[in-house]
Amino acid sequence: MSSRKWFVAALIAPAILVMAFVVFYPFIYNVFLAFGNMNLSRIRDWELVGFRQFVKIFTEPSQPGFYVIFLKTVIWTAANVFFHVVIGVFLALILNQHLQGRSAFRTLLILPWAIPQYIVALTWRGMFNYEYGSINLIITKYLGLPAVEWLKSPTEAFLAIIMTNVWLGFPFMMVIALGALQSIPHELYEAADIDGAKWHQKLRAITLPLIRPVMIPAITLGVIWTFNNLNIVWLVSNGGEPSDNTHILVSFVYKAAFNFYSFSNAAALSLIIFFILLAFSLFFMKKSRATEAAY
Amino acid sequence: MAVQNKRTIFLQRLVSYAVLLVFAVISIFPIWQIVNISLRPGNQLLSTVLEFIPSNATLENYVRLLSERDFFVWMGNSALISIAVTLSGVALASTAGYAFSRYQFIGKKFGLLTLLTTQMFPATMLLLPMYIMLINLELINSYIGIVIVYSATALPFCIWTMKGYYDTIPPTLEEAASIDGCSPFMTFYKVILPLAAPALVITALFSFMTAWSEYLVAAQILQDSELWTLPLGLKSFEASMSTEWGLYGAASLIVMVPVVVLFLLLSRYLISGLTLGSVKG
Amino acid sequence: MAALVPACRQKHSDSERIVIWHQMRPDERVILQRQLTRYMEVYSAIRVVELYKETEELRSGFVIASIAGQGPDLVYGPSDPIGIYETTKTIKPLEPYFSTEYLGQFSASALTWYNNHLYQIADKIGNHLALVYNKKYLERPPTNDREWIEISKEIQEKHGYVAGRPNVYGLAWNYTEPFFFIPFLTGFGGWVFESDGVTPSLNSAAMVKALRFVRDLRDVHKIIPNESDYEIADALFKDQKAAMMINGDWSWAGYVQKGIDVGIAPLPMISETGLWCAPMTSPKGYSLSANVSPEKTERIIRLLRFLLSEENQLETVRAIMTAPTLRTLYNRTEITSNPIIMNSLLQIERGRPMPVVPEMRAVWDAMRPAYQAVMGGARTPEQAARDMQELAVKKIRDMNE
Repeated sequence: MSSRKWFVAALIAPAILVMAFVVFYPFIYNVFLAFGNMNLSRIRDWELVGFRQFVKIFTEPSQPGFYVIFLKTVIWTAANVFFHVVIGVFLALILNQHLQGRSAFRTLLILPWAIPQYIVALTWRGMFNYEYGSINLIITKYLGLPAVEWLKSPTEAFLAIIMTNVWLGFPFMMVIALGALQSIPHELYEAADIDGAKWHQKLRAITLPLIRPVMIPAITLGVIWTFNNLNIVWLVSNGGEPSDNTHILVSFVYKAAFNFYSFSNAAALSLIIFFILLAFSLFFMKKSRATEAAY
Repeated sequence: MAVQNKRTIFLQRLVSYAVLLVFAVISIFPIWQIVNISLRPGNQLLSTVLEFIPSNATLENYVRLLSERDFFVWMGNSALISIAVTLSGVALASTAGYAFSRYQFIGKKFGLLTLLTTQMFPATMLLLPMYIMLINLELINSYIGIVIVYSATALPFCIWTMKGYYDTIPPTLEEAASIDGCSPFMTFYKVILPLAAPALVITALFSFMTAWSEYLVAAQILQDSELWTLPLGLKSFEASMSTEWGLYGAASLIVMVPVVVLFLLLSRYLISGLTLGSVKG
Repeated sequence: MAALVPACRQKHSDSERIVIWHQMRPDERVILQRQLTRYMEVYSAIRVVELYKETEELRSGFVIASIAGQGPDLVYGPSDPIGIYETTKTIKPLEPYFSTEYLGQFSASALTWYNNHLYQIADKIGNHLALVYNKKYLERPPTNDREWIEISKEIQEKHGYVAGRPNVYGLAWNYTEPFFFIPFLTGFGGWVFESDGVTPSLNSAAMVKALRFVRDLRDVHKIIPNESDYEIADALFKDQKAAMMINGDWSWAGYVQKGIDVGIAPLPMISETGLWCAPMTSPKGYSLSANVSPEKTERIIRLLRFLLSEENQLETVRAIMTAPTLRTLYNRTEITSNPIIMNSLLQIERGRPMPVVPEMRAVWDAMRPAYQAVMGGARTPEQAARDMQELAVKKIRDMNE
């Protein structure tokens, strides 16, 4: 019996050690920072001052306010993950068939994942330009609709960054879904066919439930990563344009830390983000019973 | 009955190809623009002229990239780091994931959730203390530090994915193997692991991509230009308003190639067809 | 014990290794590398290593590294982070190492003094915006705002419209960014700070007029594109679809390279006030890290003198046409015979130095949303000016808490 325990320990220990080393110390440091007052003038000799930063974040009427940004971040996350997963699974189902040239299609479809983000995000930004961008060109020439001022209006700008990020993220979910589909035994489909099941019945009864164990962690992590994905938001909107209307919570962490050196403020906000995501994960994991096995 | 089936299949195929075509075009469109950037002389990100290929297209950006910049050095560095991270990621995640899937132990749930929590804290704020820690451990300017940090970043997802995939493999297989006299390790290595090939592919690809395209940590740790990885090299073409777009575009396209090659090599195992149906009995 | 060995080895090579962090553009980098190679040929025991970091990253990266006891010996960049470096005590004063005669050789704007100490000596003056025009479309640049608008309209009429959009815009520039708006603020007589240099003065009549002026360029006179960030303006000018542009000295060589017959002129005057549109100018130079040991300082100062020397500045001028900082160079033929450099110097003369106080960051951040709101039509200039001031005051208060 104890050799089994050693086996388990040997399997897990290296991973845990590495994580402890790399993540836990910085995290604890940030917790201290969050209760401190480190900023530009007190960059070396800061001290703990209690909940001051948190009070500031929640109560100070800044423009835009905390709650507005929080809501935007939620919308940003939900929209992105939704489309990533739906498009990803959809394409994976299609690619799972025995089609000619599916290898070529598979390769073309992961290109958005493979290209360096900086240049492609700025290329997308260029595509949204009112007069010269490709998106408006296509809309006006081929769809006959009026051109949209993508980057100048808050809602449209938000849509623009969501579109860009959906484009960047669907290949990842597609690859995971493709992998997950492989775990489904053929006989289940064969049996369903014999019973005369239609495609949507097979989808709901066999496919979706059986790819869950692999998709649920991907979705959870997708939510966590997207919530904190500053890069694309910043690049496509050029730092929150128009007028600081396209920010998500983590943009303010970045601004506080690197524009103003208010490190304690940034740490406090980061801690708030952490707890939001923790609450979500606990809730989601419980609902999907993901920590247990499928059998 | 048979005729209807043939027609449905045909329609299904048609729709499938149509969808794939549409998405392929959507995927390629921005990338084609980057091809244009790389072929355009004179450093222009955007163009107000709509052309398939720039009228004065030239390969000089590629030539300059490969001859005037240390592109191959960066690529070699990145390859080294990415392969190390991929190997360690696959090794550690496949074993840890298995433990989480098959065994019950104290702290299992806590461990799994903790793995997730490591991803929740905004990375920008983790960098400052990490930098100080790495200085104290003299891991600045070394690849060991980077490989460790990248592995730690990639592991949570990989462990969870491996666990999730193992969860879909019924324990009856291990029971059968154990009856046949296999030790737990052999069962894991010879029976279960091959079945989890698709998840291993996902782990490998994800670990590789994490290391291949990561910028922030590398920028903090690597202070010598000779040690630069590709993302740092690409960043050197950036200057807030004087980015060398031609070089950047060319470099971005070349940077994609190893990723695509890796994907092509591994995708065979991603859709391995080694489903459980063929293993039963 | 084994851990000590690498530490010992490191110390030994430390004093012979000088590290410079900079944000130099590629064309500047090439020259720096050339000069450093020459230096190392003469002083073969010394190894100088240069590392490029993008401007924003350089600023935060240097502060963080310095506080952790690491980082470079010299940091090179524009002068605006000096206030931040001084507040975080990451740089050392330079005046103890140079005589007054030596410093007197430099133009006043090349020496950045802050809180009574010299913190940066520059080898270039730059980062200033000027009027860039395509000689294909106009031979003589406008000298005041009325001419500017008229000439733009003429050019647009001459080259026709397609679906309401001119084939050639009169003017295109990165007008979404406050830095590129400053010349108009100064043209109407305003400035970002009061005379004390730290209190924002954004709610002024000049600000309101300037905001209205820029907005009218697009909405009333229709001589600038509907949306124009840096890359679009750059593309328009390079594709020869804009006759004039407002851009900084870092970009001019690129246009020449692209084959455009480009002319540089100082920005026009605002006729209502009689004031020139004055952009912000910034010296770009070297600062000494606070972590440098006394023994090493002498070697570093020697390197610094080399990099700032007449010979090296002249080399830079010849190669990339930037404005040097040694007074003696202003009479050289390389400069007096080059119209681009001469116009650049004229523009610098008419420009105003970029403030180096940390409060400047708060001002930029406060200006941006209100300014963009005016351009987006969501706010009136009066409201925007009030908002900017309020936000700036608040951010400064937050910063100094």
